[in-house]
Amino acid sequence: MSDHEHNHGHVHKPAPMVEEVSDFEILEAAVRELAIEKGLFSAEDHRVWTEYVHTLGPLPAARLVAKAWLDPEYKKLCEEDGVEASKAVGVDWVTSPPTQFGTPSDYCNLRVLVDTPKLKHVVVCTLCSCYPRPILGQSPEWYRTPNYRRRLVRWPRQVLAEFGLQLPEDVEVRVADSNQKTRYIVMPERPEGTDGWTEDQLAEIVTRDCLIGVAVPKPGVTSNAQRPVRKAINPVHHDH
Amino acid sequence: MSKPVYDLEHHAKMAYGIGDPQCFKGKAGKPKFKEGDRVRIKDLPDIFYTRTMTYTRGAEGVVTRLVYESPAAEDEAFGNEDTPEWFYSVKFMQKDLWPEYSETYSNDALETEFPEHYLEAV
Repeated sequence: MSDHEHNHGHVHKPAPMVEEVSDFEILEAAVRELAIEKGLFSAEDHRVWTEYVHTLGPLPAARLVAKAWLDPEYKKLCEEDGVEASKAVGVDWVTSPPTQFGTPSDYCNLRVLVDTPKLKHVVVCTLCSCYPRPILGQSPEWYRTPNYRRRLVRWPRQVLAEFGLQLPEDVEVRVADSNQKTRYIVMPERPEGTDGWTEDQLAEIVTRDCLIGVAVPKPGVTSNAQRPVRKAINPVHHDH
Repeated sequence: MSKPVYDLEHHAKMAYGIGDPQCFKGKAGKPKFKEGDRVRIKDLPDIFYTRTMTYTRGAEGVVTRLVYESPAAEDEAFGNEDTPEWFYSVKFMQKDLWPEYSETYSNDALETEFPEHYLEAV
């Protein structure tokens, strides 16, 4: 039976293999292939790197905060030397990545910003989307948007309110803009209602959003807030 | 004075097992500023690349911490790694960055980093 003898009266086009390829994906592939061709790194290096990146997530950072809540000495170390403190949760900023000299663009200078009852930190990168990947994994989509990056430095309280976080007037909101070689995580205040909790229990409520500073930990809340998903105005249609 | 030409692995070899910015430790000499100093951000010309945000230029803030030694990004971007300098974390009051920032929240602040040559004493 030929293609145009369908019994429902129209021709099927094969669905595209890839629905959309962004300019950035094309750019990445082009630069990667060029770098391999020029011998900057091999395809094997790239595979090893990609596999390493996929092992990263926010758990070590959550563990770091939980430990610090329970141990004042360790909390002091976090504040003074984030890189040293990271070792206690299995992250060595220098030797964990396959390069053995840190992560290009993440560098090796973690600063832990310690909140107090009168001080709330929140992290952004206005230049790009610098993020402490070795200890926090890949950044969420919204962290990389121009919208978040350009508004957070200028209207931090309004942006935090959009995340559902409203802070009293007497609390200083301090934005940290990671524009150079330091990467930041926020150590939020330990919430009420967690007396006697174990490190495991405490780590569970330190979500990625809390570590960026757009949320505060609450007993019972162990996942990031759902961001609203808006329908595309011009969605892609297939004619079949 | 001509600039040294490095092979592609120069940085990797320097930082291997040590890390970056740790590999520049001790190479910037004596820091010009200390914690608590009040500084102004210079509005220096930059060709092609800078990491000093426009919104901080001309603003005054306070040094909170000497963070590390490193070549300035403006130099490093072009392979000029031979003049590391001190980097400073500087805290600005939000109202010193944005004239329209709400008086109600006059304690709000923003902290970010600069290489030494962008700072001048106030």
